[in-house]
Amino acid sequence: MGWLDYVWLGILAVFQGPEMFSLFGIGISVTLVMILMGFLLGIAVGSTPGLAGPMAMAIALPILISIFGFTPDALLPVMGFLLGIMKGATIGGAVPAILFNTPGTPDAYMTTLDGYPMTRRGEAKKALRVAHFSSASGDTFSDIVLILCAPFLAVVVERYLDLPEKAALLILSLAFIAAVISNSVGKGLISLGLGLLAAYVGTGEDFYPRLSLDTQVLAQGFPVAAVVLGVLIVGEVFCRLEDIRRDRRLKSSSGDIVQAKATRLSGAELRGLMPYIGRSAIIGTAIGALPGIGSTLAATLGYASAQRRYRRSGKTPKMGDGAPEGIAATEAANSSVSGANLIPVLSLGIPGNAAAVFLILAAETIGGFNPGPSVFRQMGDAVNPEMVIAFGLFTCMMIANLLNWTIGGVFMRSMGFMSRIPKHVLLPVVLLLTLTSIYVQETRMAAIWFTVAFGILGYAMRRLGISPLPFVIAFILGGNLEQTARQAFAATGCDPLFLVSSAVSILFMALTASIIVLSLKRPKEAPE
Amino acid sequence: MGRFNRANLALGLGVAILGLMIATIWVSMDTASGLIEKVRRQVTIGDALAPTAAAMFLVVGGLLVAAFDRDDTAYRVSVGNLAFVTSLLILLFVSLALMRWAGPLAAVFAEGGYRPLRDTAPWKYIGFSLGGTALVAGLICFVERRLSWRAIWVALVATLALILVYDLPFDDLLLPPNGDV
Amino acid sequence: MKRILTAAAAALGLSALSTGALAQDWTPPGPIKLMIAFAAGGGADTQARLIAEDLETKLGWQFIPEQVTGKGGMNLAMAIKDEPSDGSVIGMVVTETMGYNMMAADAGVTPDDFTAITTTAGFQMGIVSLSSKGWTGFDDMIAEAQGTPLRFGVMSPKLADLAYLLGEAQGVEFNIISVQGGRAVMNGVNAGDMDLGFMAGIQGRGVAAGELVNLASALSEPLVQTPEAPMLSDLGVPFNADGYFLFIAPAGLPTEARDAFATAIGEVITTDGMKSNDMITKAFGGPTVIAGDAAQALVSDYFDAAGRLMEAASE
Repeated sequence: MGWLDYVWLGILAVFQGPEMFSLFGIGISVTLVMILMGFLLGIAVGSTPGLAGPMAMAIALPILISIFGFTPDALLPVMGFLLGIMKGATIGGAVPAILFNTPGTPDAYMTTLDGYPMTRRGEAKKALRVAHFSSASGDTFSDIVLILCAPFLAVVVERYLDLPEKAALLILSLAFIAAVISNSVGKGLISLGLGLLAAYVGTGEDFYPRLSLDTQVLAQGFPVAAVVLGVLIVGEVFCRLEDIRRDRRLKSSSGDIVQAKATRLSGAELRGLMPYIGRSAIIGTAIGALPGIGSTLAATLGYASAQRRYRRSGKTPKMGDGAPEGIAATEAANSSVSGANLIPVLSLGIPGNAAAVFLILAAETIGGFNPGPSVFRQMGDAVNPEMVIAFGLFTCMMIANLLNWTIGGVFMRSMGFMSRIPKHVLLPVVLLLTLTSIYVQETRMAAIWFTVAFGILGYAMRRLGISPLPFVIAFILGGNLEQTARQAFAATGCDPLFLVSSAVSILFMALTASIIVLSLKRPKEAPE
Repeated sequence: MGRFNRANLALGLGVAILGLMIATIWVSMDTASGLIEKVRRQVTIGDALAPTAAAMFLVVGGLLVAAFDRDDTAYRVSVGNLAFVTSLLILLFVSLALMRWAGPLAAVFAEGGYRPLRDTAPWKYIGFSLGGTALVAGLICFVERRLSWRAIWVALVATLALILVYDLPFDDLLLPPNGDV
Repeated sequence: MKRILTAAAAALGLSALSTGALAQDWTPPGPIKLMIAFAAGGGADTQARLIAEDLETKLGWQFIPEQVTGKGGMNLAMAIKDEPSDGSVIGMVVTETMGYNMMAADAGVTPDDFTAITTTAGFQMGIVSLSSKGWTGFDDMIAEAQGTPLRFGVMSPKLADLAYLLGEAQGVEFNIISVQGGRAVMNGVNAGDMDLGFMAGIQGRGVAAGELVNLASALSEPLVQTPEAPMLSDLGVPFNADGYFLFIAPAGLPTEARDAFATAIGEVITTDGMKSNDMITKAFGGPTVIAGDAAQALVSDYFDAAGRLMEAASE
């Protein structure tokens, strides 16, 4: 079985999977339909301020699993749907940013700077076209990098890293996430420590479920969905509800500005945008490949680098006054994060952002696919089913890109009305939806209470300026980290210095220390 | 470099002390094996080591916040925040209690109680629809600072939609609270 | 010998059931909660869900599956213990849960606090390594272990004890690595993180493809796939890793309910054309039905034997 065989098997797995219906005698696989539905839903969700891709992914997951069950056949349709949401939400986020000056997703903030001025000039349609073109370009570029890099990196990891090095690499990733994600290493470490602690309740190797206070409620540990959704979504809902209650400020309507009819982008205009898109796509992809640094930073950096270049060109209007180049730079940068973010997921099993967290959650819930280096293992003549799924996922991403290029723009431009849904009505519904979806998975009221409790924790962390993302990533990796360390310790015959027993692990540990020390010295900007 | 910031000092030291207490009291008393232990003549890592390390992250993180963070990263929790959380919790508590107990209360006089009925319409919807409506409508009114019929309509429609999405198509999914009763 | 005993026990169990006329009349009081002690998506979980599906089709009983994983099934045992014993809740564990794990957990429960309903299938537990290691048999592996300690992957404390006793009997030292779940052992062995490990049937495809090799059987009988591999008793270890998947309920489940479940489950998993029969035949080498009192006696035996194994391993 060569690599190309797996690529082909992956493509077949998508196109020849279980049939949904047949069109003119050709069977349409359910995975294709799911990608399309996820993609359209993603655009709608991204266009709605107050909703975000990860939220939709989280809520869709239990429904999808009830439909498709816990068989390996479920992996591609379910994850295809989630990937569709991820990509749709990325382009959808630009819609309210451009039309109403309210970013649909946090990383679209920079898009408002030039997008809304264009709307006021009557060029809204054109701005949306620029956003769509740049976003789709950045996304596609990033996916290609992912497909080329992830298998290679996984093979290197699998071949050269032994258990102690794997433990050291996990520690390095966690330290990196804690250090870069917020503008305070201390707060990053606090978030990390809390996440690990939550992961260690009820788990462990002894038969007594540790830290369970001798209760049955805690003995099974915290359900993953309750912790992740609680901190990421319920916490966010609480914060925004408080903001709305405090402000009670009614949304300013954009009024009815007469919009120009001629909205096509000419070839010359596109050529003019390309350097900005290309540069931002590279910045976004590089940032996306590192776990923990989000698309917001990518957008900021992409915009800043475009600004320098644009100023030299001396064009008008100035950036910030409605220059298409500003939109292009931002959207290309934040969209190119999503594909590259799956590099650490698929090659190391380490999630870098919230969307990746939900993809891992889906894989774990369904079973039969464990993101990590073992996915890309060649097994001689036997077929490695996980590798087929991985290439199936790549195929799903490319199909979603194709949808993005063909129908994405039209659909996106029709989604303006979603931005008018009032947030304070939407958010309570999102809360009930989240709690119900968790109950349906866990079927015990305790899970709902855990979710509320972690929601309060997420709320408190946000109010104290502590980023919740290291918490979530540490929670997901906590068990893995402990087990790898235990196994490394046992495998080396109980060597207490197993973390510094080889050149590679010494390198990883030295990097860990220097990241922490360096970020203490250098105050950073642009927090997530 | 600014001076020490009081908010950061309080947060940092508070978290550091919390971490120490977790490590010395909770972890050490609530795990079955120590940091390391000897099993089958092999030294192994015990169940207390990982949580202790996690607690140490809290201590180190807290001390770093107290010592290195400056004014620009300081956040305070206000009395307003606490009041908001308290009212929110009361609201959640009431509506979730309604969700949990409304069905069993309604079935008090039914033969065999609520349990055999937990997967039978309309019984199985009583708790969820009452509790869910109360939750959504309560939150909307709380945020709007006024009662409105619109809030109740939105809540009813949302709850109904959830029943349509989760319960009708799937036999083996249970709406709250039907897995507990 | 053990095999004959098992067969006899099975025959006894089934005949005892067929006399229970009451069992035919029993119907569950509403939907049945099915607790599953295994991670979703794995072979064990799939088995439980398929059995439930078959029962739903055949008898119209309704099951609501729920994952209660962790602590080698002890989390499920502790959770199901306090559920109503009217047939509205059953759970699927392995016999090891009621044997070694219940003894080791010392959580104040014994097999008598539960009703054993029926087993469904046994494990083809082997000691497995990559064939690329170049070991053609158990002795080659021991020869290499004389030089440097080998890494031995196990997925439960009982198996860790067995690995330790095996090393002791053979005069070699193993670095025993505990992981969570049989798949983790296979991944570790495949990745080269472990030299050998216990696998409970998951190795079947790899062995057939020539990637993996069964060095020894951890059972009291030879492996179906590699009958020439020595058994633990041949290698100086007077214990074995025999075990089965087992349906349980809280203590006090009425006999007619227990027998109704056992008969129904036994029938679907042994009937050709049923989904669960197909799956069990492919993944676990065919169904093994030990039901009712025989199942209860089996877990009591395992519970008592666990004490002797723990004692031997702690010497």
